[in-house]
Amino acid sequence: MLKVTDLQAGYAGSEVLHSLSLEVRDGESVVVLGPNGHGKTTLLRAISGLIRPTGGRIEFDGQDITHKRASDIVAAGVIHIPQGDLPFPELTVIENLLMGAYRSDAWRQRKYKLEQVFELFPVLKERPNQLARSLSGGERRMLALGRGLMSKAKLLMIDEPSLGLAPFLVENVYETIRSIRNTGLSILLVDENADHIADLADRVYLLEAGSLIKEGGASEMLHDEALLAAYLG
Amino acid sequence: MEKLFQAVYGGILYGSIYGLMAIGLTLIWGSLRMLNMAMGALYVVGGFLTWTAYKQWDLPPLVAIAIGVLAAAVIGLLIQVLLINRLLGRSSFFNAAMIATVGAAIMIESAALLIYGPRVKQMPPIVAGQSKIIGVVIQYQNLVIIAVTVISLIALSIFLKKTRYGLAIQAVSQQMDAARLMGIPTVMTFMIVATIGAAFAGLAGSLLSSVFYVSPTAGYAPLTKALIVTIFGGLGSIKGTIWAAYIIGILEAFLIVYFGAGFALPVLFLFMILMLVIRPSGLFGLGEVQRL
Repeated sequence: MLKVTDLQAGYAGSEVLHSLSLEVRDGESVVVLGPNGHGKTTLLRAISGLIRPTGGRIEFDGQDITHKRASDIVAAGVIHIPQGDLPFPELTVIENLLMGAYRSDAWRQRKYKLEQVFELFPVLKERPNQLARSLSGGERRMLALGRGLMSKAKLLMIDEPSLGLAPFLVENVYETIRSIRNTGLSILLVDENADHIADLADRVYLLEAGSLIKEGGASEMLHDEALLAAYLG
Repeated sequence: MEKLFQAVYGGILYGSIYGLMAIGLTLIWGSLRMLNMAMGALYVVGGFLTWTAYKQWDLPPLVAIAIGVLAAAVIGLLIQVLLINRLLGRSSFFNAAMIATVGAAIMIESAALLIYGPRVKQMPPIVAGQSKIIGVVIQYQNLVIIAVTVISLIALSIFLKKTRYGLAIQAVSQQMDAARLMGIPTVMTFMIVATIGAAFAGLAGSLLSSVFYVSPTAGYAPLTKALIVTIFGGLGSIKGTIWAAYIIGILEAFLIVYFGAGFALPVLFLFMILMLVIRPSGLFGLGEVQRL
Protein backbone atom coordinates (compact mmCIF):
# COMPACT_ATOMS: atom_id res chain seq x y z
CA MET A 1 0.00 0.00 0.00
CA LEU A 2 2.76 2.43 0.99
CA LYS A 3 6.12 1.93 -0.64
CA VAL A 4 9.04 4.23 0.10
CA THR A 5 12.15 3.73 -2.00
CA ASP A 6 15.55 5.38 -1.45
CA LEU A 7 13.94 8.42 0.14
CA GLN A 8 16.12 11.44 0.80
CA ALA A 9 14.74 14.42 2.65
CA GLY A 10 15.70 17.11 5.11
CA TYR A 11 15.68 20.81 5.77
CA ALA A 12 17.49 23.65 4.06
CA GLY A 13 20.98 22.39 3.49
CA SER A 14 21.01 19.43 5.84
CA GLU A 15 19.85 16.03 4.72
CA VAL A 16 18.17 14.04 7.48
CA LEU A 17 17.05 10.90 5.66
CA HIS A 18 19.57 9.06 3.51
CA SER A 19 18.25 6.48 1.07
CA LEU A 20 15.52 5.15 3.28
CA SER A 21 13.24 2.39 2.04
CA LEU A 22 10.26 0.89 3.78
CA GLU A 23 6.94 -0.66 3.06
CA VAL A 24 3.54 -0.89 4.71
CA ARG A 25 1.28 -3.59 3.29
CA ASP A 26 -2.49 -3.51 3.22
CA GLY A 27 -3.97 -3.80 6.71
CA GLU A 28 -0.55 -4.00 8.26
CA SER A 29 0.68 -2.16 11.31
CA VAL A 30 4.30 -1.12 11.08
CA VAL A 31 6.39 0.57 13.75
CA VAL A 32 9.57 2.52 13.08
CA LEU A 33 11.68 2.69 16.22
CA GLY A 34 14.47 5.17 16.58
CA PRO A 35 16.06 7.54 19.07
CA ASN A 36 15.27 11.22 19.14
CA GLY A 37 16.66 13.30 16.33
CA HIS A 38 17.30 10.46 13.91
CA GLY A 39 14.63 11.34 11.37
CA LYS A 40 11.36 9.73 12.45
CA THR A 41 9.34 12.92 12.24
CA THR A 42 11.10 13.95 9.04
CA LEU A 43 10.09 10.62 7.51
CA LEU A 44 6.40 11.23 8.22
CA ARG A 45 6.59 14.87 7.13
CA ALA A 46 8.13 13.83 3.83
CA ILE A 47 5.48 11.18 3.19
CA SER A 48 2.61 13.56 3.97
CA GLY A 49 4.03 16.31 1.76
CA LEU A 50 4.86 18.86 4.47
CA ILE A 51 8.45 18.83 3.22
CA ARG A 52 9.62 18.03 -0.29
CA PRO A 53 11.76 14.92 -0.64
CA THR A 54 15.05 15.65 -2.39
CA GLY A 55 15.35 12.17 -3.80
CA GLY A 56 13.74 8.76 -4.02
CA ARG A 57 10.16 7.76 -4.54
CA ILE A 58 7.00 7.40 -2.45
CA GLU A 59 4.15 5.31 -3.79
CA PHE A 60 0.73 4.89 -2.29
CA ASP A 61 -1.78 2.41 -3.70
CA GLY A 62 0.35 2.22 -6.82
CA GLN A 63 0.24 5.97 -7.33
CA ASP A 64 3.39 8.13 -7.23
CA ILE A 65 2.88 10.71 -4.46
CA THR A 66 6.50 11.81 -4.07
CA HIS A 67 5.98 15.40 -5.14
CA LYS A 68 2.24 15.70 -4.65
CA ARG A 69 0.78 18.50 -2.54
CA ALA A 70 -0.19 17.72 1.04
CA SER A 71 -3.88 18.15 0.20
CA ASP A 72 -3.66 15.57 -2.62
CA ILE A 73 -1.86 13.12 -0.34
CA VAL A 74 -4.66 13.47 2.21
CA ALA A 75 -7.15 12.93 -0.59
CA ALA A 76 -5.36 9.68 -1.46
CA GLY A 77 -6.00 8.46 2.10
CA VAL A 78 -2.68 9.04 3.90
CA ILE A 79 -3.42 10.75 7.22
CA HIS A 80 -0.63 12.05 9.42
CA ILE A 81 -1.25 12.67 13.12
CA PRO A 82 1.57 15.05 13.92
CA GLN A 83 3.92 15.22 16.84
CA GLY A 84 2.68 17.67 19.46
CA ASP A 85 -0.92 17.26 18.23
CA LEU A 86 -1.02 20.72 16.59
CA PRO A 87 -4.66 21.47 17.46
CA PHE A 88 -6.34 24.59 16.09
CA PRO A 89 -6.20 26.45 19.42
CA GLU A 90 -9.01 28.94 18.90
CA LEU A 91 -11.43 26.44 17.40
CA THR A 92 -13.71 24.29 19.55
CA VAL A 93 -13.37 20.54 19.88
CA ILE A 94 -16.12 19.94 17.38
CA GLU A 95 -14.74 22.48 14.90
CA ASN A 96 -11.32 20.84 15.16
CA LEU A 97 -12.90 17.48 14.41
CA LEU A 98 -14.86 18.88 11.47
CA MET A 99 -11.63 20.18 9.95
CA GLY A 100 -10.40 16.58 9.96
CA ALA A 101 -13.24 15.86 7.55
CA TYR A 102 -12.38 18.81 5.29
CA ARG A 103 -12.10 16.86 2.04
CA SER A 104 -15.42 16.63 0.21
CA ASP A 105 -15.82 12.86 0.43
CA ALA A 106 -15.26 12.87 4.19
CA TRP A 107 -17.31 16.05 4.66
CA ARG A 108 -20.43 14.36 3.31
CA GLN A 109 -20.13 11.73 6.03
CA ARG A 110 -19.13 14.08 8.83
CA LYS A 111 -22.14 13.39 11.07
CA TYR A 112 -21.59 9.66 10.93
CA LYS A 113 -17.83 10.06 11.42
CA LEU A 114 -18.40 12.34 14.37
CA GLU A 115 -20.51 9.68 16.07
CA GLN A 116 -17.77 7.13 15.51
CA VAL A 117 -15.10 9.41 16.96
CA PHE A 118 -17.26 10.29 19.95
CA GLU A 119 -17.79 6.62 20.60
CA LEU A 120 -14.06 6.04 20.62
CA PHE A 121 -13.32 9.17 22.67
CA PRO A 122 -16.19 9.86 25.07
CA VAL A 123 -14.10 12.58 26.71
CA LEU A 124 -14.43 14.67 23.52
CA LYS A 125 -18.17 14.16 23.45
CA GLU A 126 -18.45 15.71 26.90
CA ARG A 127 -16.97 19.03 25.81
CA PRO A 128 -17.81 19.68 22.16
CA ASN A 129 -17.77 23.46 22.54
CA GLN A 130 -14.58 23.87 24.54
CA LEU A 131 -11.70 25.66 22.81
CA ALA A 132 -8.87 23.31 21.96
CA ARG A 133 -6.30 25.50 23.70
CA SER A 134 -7.94 24.85 27.05
CA LEU A 135 -7.80 21.05 26.80
CA SER A 136 -5.44 18.99 28.93
CA GLY A 137 -2.53 17.12 27.35
CA GLY A 138 -4.42 13.84 27.30
CA GLU A 139 -7.52 15.41 25.81
CA ARG A 140 -5.45 17.10 23.14
CA ARG A 141 -3.95 13.78 22.15
CA MET A 142 -7.45 12.29 21.87
CA LEU A 143 -8.49 15.29 19.79
CA ALA A 144 -5.53 14.83 17.45
CA LEU A 145 -6.32 11.13 16.96
CA GLY A 146 -10.03 11.83 16.58
CA ARG A 147 -9.38 14.60 14.07
CA GLY A 148 -7.28 12.19 12.01
CA LEU A 149 -10.05 9.60 12.10
CA MET A 150 -12.61 12.09 10.76
CA SER A 151 -10.98 11.70 7.35
CA LYS A 152 -11.29 8.90 4.88
CA ALA A 153 -8.03 7.40 6.02
CA LYS A 154 -6.56 4.28 4.49
CA LEU A 155 -3.21 4.63 6.21
CA LEU A 156 -2.84 6.36 9.55
CA MET A 157 0.64 7.68 10.34
CA ILE A 158 1.13 8.44 14.03
CA ASP A 159 4.10 10.36 15.42
CA GLU A 160 5.11 9.37 18.97
CA PRO A 161 1.69 8.99 20.55
CA SER A 162 3.03 8.91 24.11
CA LEU A 163 5.17 12.04 23.86
CA GLY A 164 4.58 14.42 26.76
CA LEU A 165 1.74 12.44 28.28
CA ALA A 166 1.40 11.61 31.96
CA PRO A 167 2.44 7.97 32.52
CA PHE A 168 -1.04 6.81 33.52
CA LEU A 169 -2.43 8.02 30.18
CA VAL A 170 0.15 6.37 27.99
CA GLU A 171 -1.22 2.82 28.08
CA ASN A 172 -4.66 4.25 27.39
CA VAL A 173 -3.45 5.88 24.17
CA TYR A 174 -1.86 2.69 22.88
CA GLU A 175 -5.01 0.80 23.78
CA THR A 176 -6.94 3.23 21.61
CA ILE A 177 -4.50 2.81 18.74
CA ARG A 178 -4.89 -0.96 19.01
CA SER A 179 -8.63 -0.61 18.69
CA ILE A 180 -8.18 1.70 15.68
CA ARG A 181 -5.92 -0.91 14.18
CA ASN A 182 -8.56 -3.59 14.74
CA THR A 183 -10.95 -1.68 12.49
CA GLY A 184 -8.69 -2.71 9.63
CA LEU A 185 -6.87 0.58 9.07
CA SER A 186 -3.20 0.29 8.10
CA ILE A 187 -0.89 2.01 10.56
CA LEU A 188 2.62 3.44 10.36
CA LEU A 189 3.72 4.49 13.81
CA VAL A 190 7.04 6.03 14.77
CA ASP A 191 8.22 5.78 18.35
CA GLU A 192 11.26 6.09 20.56
CA ASN A 193 10.67 3.14 22.81
CA ALA A 194 9.40 -0.35 22.34
CA ASP A 195 7.51 -0.64 25.63
CA HIS A 196 3.98 -0.41 24.32
CA ILE A 197 4.03 -1.71 20.81
CA ALA A 198 4.28 -5.46 21.31
CA ASP A 199 0.56 -6.07 20.78
CA LEU A 200 0.34 -3.48 18.07
CA ALA A 201 3.11 -4.00 15.54
CA ASP A 202 3.23 -6.59 12.81
CA ARG A 203 6.66 -5.53 11.70
CA VAL A 204 9.30 -3.27 13.15
CA TYR A 205 12.02 -1.19 11.51
CA LEU A 206 14.94 0.26 13.39
CA LEU A 207 16.00 3.72 12.29
CA GLU A 208 19.36 5.22 13.02
CA ALA A 209 20.88 8.45 11.74
CA GLY A 210 18.43 8.71 8.88
CA SER A 211 18.73 5.14 7.63
CA LEU A 212 16.85 1.97 8.45
CA ILE A 213 19.33 -0.49 9.89
CA LYS A 214 17.18 -3.51 10.60
CA GLU A 215 13.76 -4.85 9.79
CA GLY A 216 11.83 -7.84 11.01
CA GLY A 217 8.64 -9.34 12.39
CA ALA A 218 7.52 -7.73 15.61
CA SER A 219 7.77 -10.83 17.78
CA GLU A 220 11.38 -11.66 16.89
CA MET A 221 12.58 -8.06 16.94
CA LEU A 222 10.96 -7.13 20.21
CA HIS A 223 12.20 -10.28 21.93
CA ASP A 224 15.76 -9.60 20.94
CA GLU A 225 16.49 -7.73 24.12
CA ALA A 226 20.18 -7.49 23.40
CA LEU A 227 19.45 -5.72 20.16
CA LEU A 228 16.95 -3.31 21.62
CA ALA A 229 19.17 -2.53 24.58
CA ALA A 230 22.15 -1.85 22.38
CA TYR A 231 20.10 0.21 20.08
CA LEU A 232 17.60 2.18 22.14
CA GLY A 233 19.55 2.15 25.39
CA MET B 1 -25.00 66.48 25.52
CA GLU B 2 -25.14 67.50 21.90
CA LYS B 3 -21.38 67.19 21.62
CA LEU B 4 -21.40 63.83 23.31
CA PHE B 5 -24.04 62.47 20.98
CA GLN B 6 -22.24 63.98 18.01
CA ALA B 7 -19.04 62.22 19.06
CA VAL B 8 -20.68 58.84 19.60
CA TYR B 9 -22.56 59.01 16.32
CA GLY B 10 -19.48 60.12 14.42
CA GLY B 11 -17.44 57.43 16.15
CA ILE B 12 -19.78 54.66 15.12
CA LEU B 13 -19.71 55.92 11.56
CA TYR B 14 -15.90 56.14 11.46
CA GLY B 15 -15.62 52.81 13.24
CA SER B 16 -17.77 51.15 10.59
CA ILE B 17 -15.64 52.51 7.79
CA TYR B 18 -12.40 51.50 9.52
CA GLY B 19 -13.84 48.08 10.23
CA LEU B 20 -14.54 47.51 6.55
CA MET B 21 -11.04 48.61 5.57
CA ALA B 22 -9.24 46.75 8.34
CA ILE B 23 -11.00 43.41 8.10
CA GLY B 24 -9.19 42.54 4.88
CA LEU B 25 -5.80 43.49 6.31
CA THR B 26 -6.36 41.31 9.34
CA LEU B 27 -7.76 38.32 7.41
CA ILE B 28 -4.83 38.40 5.03
CA TRP B 29 -2.37 38.77 7.88
CA GLY B 30 -4.05 35.83 9.61
CA SER B 31 -3.55 33.39 6.79
CA LEU B 32 -0.51 34.74 4.94
CA ARG B 33 1.34 36.76 7.60
CA MET B 34 1.78 39.66 5.22
CA LEU B 35 0.53 43.22 4.95
CA ASN B 36 -1.49 43.96 1.86
CA MET B 37 -0.63 47.57 1.05
CA ALA B 38 -2.94 47.56 -1.97
CA MET B 39 -6.03 47.83 0.25
CA GLY B 40 -6.13 51.60 -0.25
CA ALA B 41 -6.01 51.15 -4.02
CA LEU B 42 -8.81 48.58 -3.84
CA TYR B 43 -10.85 51.13 -1.93
CA VAL B 44 -10.29 53.51 -4.85
CA VAL B 45 -11.34 50.81 -7.33
CA GLY B 46 -14.59 50.33 -5.41
CA GLY B 47 -15.27 54.08 -5.41
CA PHE B 48 -14.54 54.70 -9.09
CA LEU B 49 -16.40 51.69 -10.40
CA THR B 50 -19.45 52.56 -8.34
CA TRP B 51 -19.30 56.10 -9.73
CA THR B 52 -18.91 54.83 -13.29
CA ALA B 53 -21.76 52.35 -12.99
CA TYR B 54 -24.05 54.99 -11.55
CA LYS B 55 -23.11 58.09 -13.52
CA GLN B 56 -22.04 56.69 -16.86
CA TRP B 57 -24.01 53.47 -17.13
CA ASP B 58 -27.10 54.84 -15.37
CA LEU B 59 -27.48 51.84 -13.10
CA PRO B 60 -29.38 52.03 -9.81
CA PRO B 61 -27.21 52.87 -6.76
CA LEU B 62 -27.35 49.40 -5.20
CA VAL B 63 -26.28 47.74 -8.44
CA ALA B 64 -23.54 50.33 -8.78
CA ILE B 65 -22.27 49.45 -5.31
CA ALA B 66 -22.33 45.75 -6.16
CA ILE B 67 -20.25 46.47 -9.27
CA GLY B 68 -17.73 48.46 -7.24
CA VAL B 69 -17.39 45.62 -4.73
CA LEU B 70 -17.08 43.01 -7.45
CA ALA B 71 -14.41 44.98 -9.31
CA ALA B 72 -12.32 45.35 -6.16
CA ALA B 73 -12.73 41.64 -5.38
CA VAL B 74 -11.58 40.64 -8.87
CA ILE B 75 -8.55 42.91 -8.74
CA GLY B 76 -7.71 41.69 -5.24
CA LEU B 77 -7.83 38.12 -6.50
CA LEU B 78 -5.63 39.04 -9.49
CA ILE B 79 -3.03 40.59 -7.17
CA GLN B 80 -3.02 37.36 -5.18
CA VAL B 81 -2.74 35.08 -8.21
CA LEU B 82 -0.33 37.13 -10.31
CA LEU B 83 1.93 38.45 -7.54
CA ILE B 84 1.59 36.94 -4.08
CA ASN B 85 1.18 33.28 -5.06
CA ARG B 86 4.50 33.50 -6.90
CA LEU B 87 6.29 34.75 -3.81
CA LEU B 88 5.02 32.02 -1.46
CA GLY B 89 7.68 30.02 0.27
CA ARG B 90 10.48 32.56 -0.23
CA SER B 91 12.54 33.33 2.83
CA SER B 92 11.91 37.05 2.36
CA PHE B 93 8.18 36.56 1.79
CA PHE B 94 6.99 39.28 4.16
CA ASN B 95 9.06 42.06 2.58
CA ALA B 96 8.60 40.82 -0.97
CA ALA B 97 4.84 40.64 -0.58
CA MET B 98 4.63 44.07 1.01
CA ILE B 99 6.68 45.66 -1.77
CA ALA B 100 4.72 43.79 -4.43
CA THR B 101 1.44 45.11 -3.05
CA VAL B 102 2.82 48.65 -2.86
CA GLY B 103 3.73 48.21 -6.53
CA ALA B 104 0.24 46.98 -7.33
CA ALA B 105 -1.23 49.97 -5.52
CA ILE B 106 0.86 52.39 -7.57
CA MET B 107 -0.19 50.67 -10.79
CA ILE B 108 -3.86 50.83 -9.87
CA GLU B 109 -3.69 54.48 -8.84
CA SER B 110 -1.85 55.42 -12.02
CA ALA B 111 -4.41 53.55 -14.08
CA ALA B 112 -7.17 55.43 -12.24
CA LEU B 113 -5.41 58.71 -13.00
CA LEU B 114 -5.17 57.86 -16.71
CA ILE B 115 -8.78 56.74 -16.94
CA TYR B 116 -10.53 59.25 -14.72
CA GLY B 117 -8.12 62.17 -14.67
CA PRO B 118 -7.08 64.13 -11.60
CA ARG B 119 -10.45 65.73 -10.91
CA VAL B 120 -12.38 64.29 -8.01
CA LYS B 121 -15.71 62.57 -8.50
CA GLN B 122 -18.64 62.37 -6.17
CA MET B 123 -21.65 60.11 -5.96
CA PRO B 124 -24.97 61.54 -4.87
CA PRO B 125 -26.22 60.04 -1.59
CA ILE B 126 -27.59 56.50 -1.80
CA VAL B 127 -30.49 57.57 0.33
CA ALA B 128 -31.16 61.29 0.43
CA GLY B 129 -32.54 63.12 3.41
CA GLN B 130 -31.63 63.76 7.00
CA SER B 131 -33.18 64.50 10.33
CA LYS B 132 -32.10 66.17 13.52
CA ILE B 133 -31.83 64.15 16.71
CA ILE B 134 -30.69 65.80 19.95
CA GLY B 135 -29.43 68.69 17.88
CA VAL B 136 -27.23 66.51 15.67
CA VAL B 137 -27.86 66.23 11.95
CA ILE B 138 -28.13 62.55 11.03
CA GLN B 139 -27.88 61.86 7.32
CA TYR B 140 -29.76 58.80 6.24
CA GLN B 141 -26.94 57.66 4.01
CA ASN B 142 -24.68 57.44 7.04
CA LEU B 143 -27.20 55.19 8.73
CA VAL B 144 -27.17 53.04 5.60
CA ILE B 145 -23.37 52.85 5.77
CA ILE B 146 -23.48 51.78 9.42
CA ALA B 147 -26.19 49.21 8.75
CA VAL B 148 -24.44 47.74 5.71
CA THR B 149 -21.19 47.48 7.64
CA VAL B 150 -22.73 45.78 10.63
CA ILE B 151 -24.62 43.34 8.41
CA SER B 152 -21.55 42.46 6.36
CA LEU B 153 -19.37 42.00 9.43
CA ILE B 154 -21.99 39.69 10.93
CA ALA B 155 -22.24 37.80 7.65
CA LEU B 156 -18.45 37.40 7.61
CA SER B 157 -18.44 36.09 11.18
CA ILE B 158 -21.11 33.54 10.33
CA PHE B 159 -19.15 32.50 7.26
CA LEU B 160 -15.97 32.06 9.31
CA LYS B 161 -17.69 30.22 12.14
CA LYS B 162 -20.27 28.08 10.42
CA THR B 163 -19.04 27.06 7.00
CA ARG B 164 -16.42 24.59 5.92
CA TYR B 165 -14.41 27.18 3.99
CA GLY B 166 -14.68 29.72 6.77
CA LEU B 167 -13.43 27.25 9.38
CA ALA B 168 -10.62 26.31 7.00
CA ILE B 169 -9.55 29.97 6.85
CA GLN B 170 -9.34 30.01 10.64
CA ALA B 171 -7.53 26.67 10.68
CA VAL B 172 -4.90 27.95 8.24
CA SER B 173 -4.34 31.06 10.31
CA GLN B 174 -4.05 29.17 13.61
CA GLN B 175 -2.00 26.12 12.67
CA MET B 176 -0.71 26.02 9.13
CA ASP B 177 0.93 22.58 9.26
CA ALA B 178 -2.12 20.93 10.80
CA ALA B 179 -4.34 22.63 8.22
CA ARG B 180 -2.23 21.09 5.45
CA LEU B 181 -2.46 17.70 7.13
CA MET B 182 -6.26 18.00 7.10
CA GLY B 183 -6.08 18.30 3.33
CA ILE B 184 -6.99 21.99 3.31
CA PRO B 185 -5.59 23.48 0.08
CA THR B 186 -3.69 26.44 1.46
CA VAL B 187 -3.15 28.37 -1.75
CA MET B 188 -6.85 28.22 -2.51
CA THR B 189 -7.57 29.45 1.01
CA PHE B 190 -5.20 32.39 0.46
CA MET B 191 -7.10 33.26 -2.70
CA ILE B 192 -10.45 33.18 -0.92
CA VAL B 193 -9.09 35.41 1.83
CA ALA B 194 -7.55 37.88 -0.62
CA THR B 195 -10.85 38.12 -2.50
CA ILE B 196 -12.94 38.66 0.63
CA GLY B 197 -10.50 41.27 1.95
CA ALA B 198 -10.52 43.14 -1.34
CA ALA B 199 -14.31 42.99 -1.51
CA PHE B 200 -14.54 44.64 1.92
CA ALA B 201 -12.11 47.39 0.92
CA GLY B 202 -14.13 47.85 -2.26
CA LEU B 203 -17.32 48.07 -0.21
CA ALA B 204 -15.77 50.78 1.94
CA GLY B 205 -14.74 52.79 -1.13
CA SER B 206 -18.07 52.22 -2.75
CA LEU B 207 -20.17 53.31 0.23
CA LEU B 208 -17.99 56.31 0.89
CA SER B 209 -18.06 57.56 -2.68
CA SER B 210 -21.20 59.45 -1.69
CA VAL B 211 -19.65 60.91 1.47
CA PHE B 212 -16.15 61.83 0.40
CA TYR B 213 -14.77 62.51 -3.03
CA VAL B 214 -13.28 59.72 -5.10
CA SER B 215 -9.81 60.39 -6.43
CA PRO B 216 -6.86 58.19 -7.42
CA THR B 217 -5.12 58.80 -4.11
CA ALA B 218 -8.21 58.68 -1.91
CA GLY B 219 -7.13 55.32 -0.51
CA TYR B 220 -4.17 56.45 1.57
CA ALA B 221 -6.08 57.92 4.50
CA PRO B 222 -8.31 54.87 4.98
CA LEU B 223 -5.31 52.55 4.57
CA THR B 224 -3.43 54.42 7.29
CA LYS B 225 -6.41 54.24 9.62
CA ALA B 226 -6.89 50.56 8.84
CA LEU B 227 -3.24 49.88 9.70
CA ILE B 228 -3.65 51.69 13.02
CA VAL B 229 -6.82 49.71 13.71
CA THR B 230 -5.34 46.29 12.88
CA ILE B 231 -2.18 46.91 14.87
CA PHE B 232 -4.23 48.19 17.79
CA GLY B 233 -6.67 45.28 17.68
CA GLY B 234 -4.06 42.61 17.08
CA LEU B 235 -3.08 41.53 13.59
CA GLY B 236 -4.93 38.41 12.53
CA SER B 237 -7.71 38.69 15.09
CA ILE B 238 -11.14 39.39 13.61
CA LYS B 239 -12.65 40.10 16.99
CA GLY B 240 -9.79 42.43 17.94
CA THR B 241 -10.04 44.27 14.64
CA ILE B 242 -13.76 44.94 14.98
CA TRP B 243 -13.36 46.12 18.57
CA ALA B 244 -10.41 48.29 17.62
CA ALA B 245 -12.25 49.78 14.64
CA TYR B 246 -15.01 51.11 16.87
CA ILE B 247 -12.68 52.11 19.72
CA ILE B 248 -10.45 54.05 17.33
CA GLY B 249 -13.45 55.49 15.51
CA ILE B 250 -15.09 56.75 18.70
CA LEU B 251 -11.79 58.03 20.05
CA GLU B 252 -11.18 59.95 16.85
CA ALA B 253 -14.69 61.41 16.88
CA PHE B 254 -14.28 62.56 20.49
CA LEU B 255 -10.94 64.20 19.68
CA ILE B 256 -12.46 66.00 16.71
CA VAL B 257 -15.56 67.17 18.56
CA TYR B 258 -13.80 68.28 21.74
CA PHE B 259 -10.31 69.29 20.60
CA GLY B 260 -10.50 69.85 16.86
CA ALA B 261 -9.57 67.75 13.86
CA GLY B 262 -5.87 68.59 14.07
CA PHE B 263 -5.49 66.45 17.17
CA ALA B 264 -7.04 63.33 15.78
CA LEU B 265 -4.24 61.68 13.83
CA PRO B 266 -1.35 62.50 16.17
CA VAL B 267 -3.25 61.16 19.18
CA LEU B 268 -4.28 58.04 17.29
CA PHE B 269 -0.67 57.34 16.42
CA LEU B 270 0.28 57.96 20.01
CA PHE B 271 -2.30 55.38 21.03
CA MET B 272 -0.93 52.91 18.55
CA ILE B 273 2.62 53.43 19.78
CA LEU B 274 1.49 53.01 23.39
CA MET B 275 -0.27 49.82 22.45
CA LEU B 276 2.87 48.53 20.74
CA VAL B 277 4.88 49.28 23.87
CA ILE B 278 2.42 47.79 26.35
CA ARG B 279 0.99 44.92 24.31
CA PRO B 280 2.92 44.40 21.09
CA SER B 281 0.47 41.83 19.75
CA GLY B 282 -2.49 44.17 20.17
CA LEU B 283 -5.80 43.63 21.96
CA PHE B 284 -6.32 40.07 20.70
CA GLY B 285 -3.27 39.48 18.50
CA LEU B 286 -1.98 36.20 17.11
CA GLY B 287 1.64 37.01 17.77
CA GLU B 288 4.27 37.15 15.10
CA VAL B 289 5.23 33.63 14.28
CA GLN B 290 6.95 33.43 10.93
CA ARG B 291 5.77 30.43 8.99
CA LEU B 292 5.90 30.67 5.25
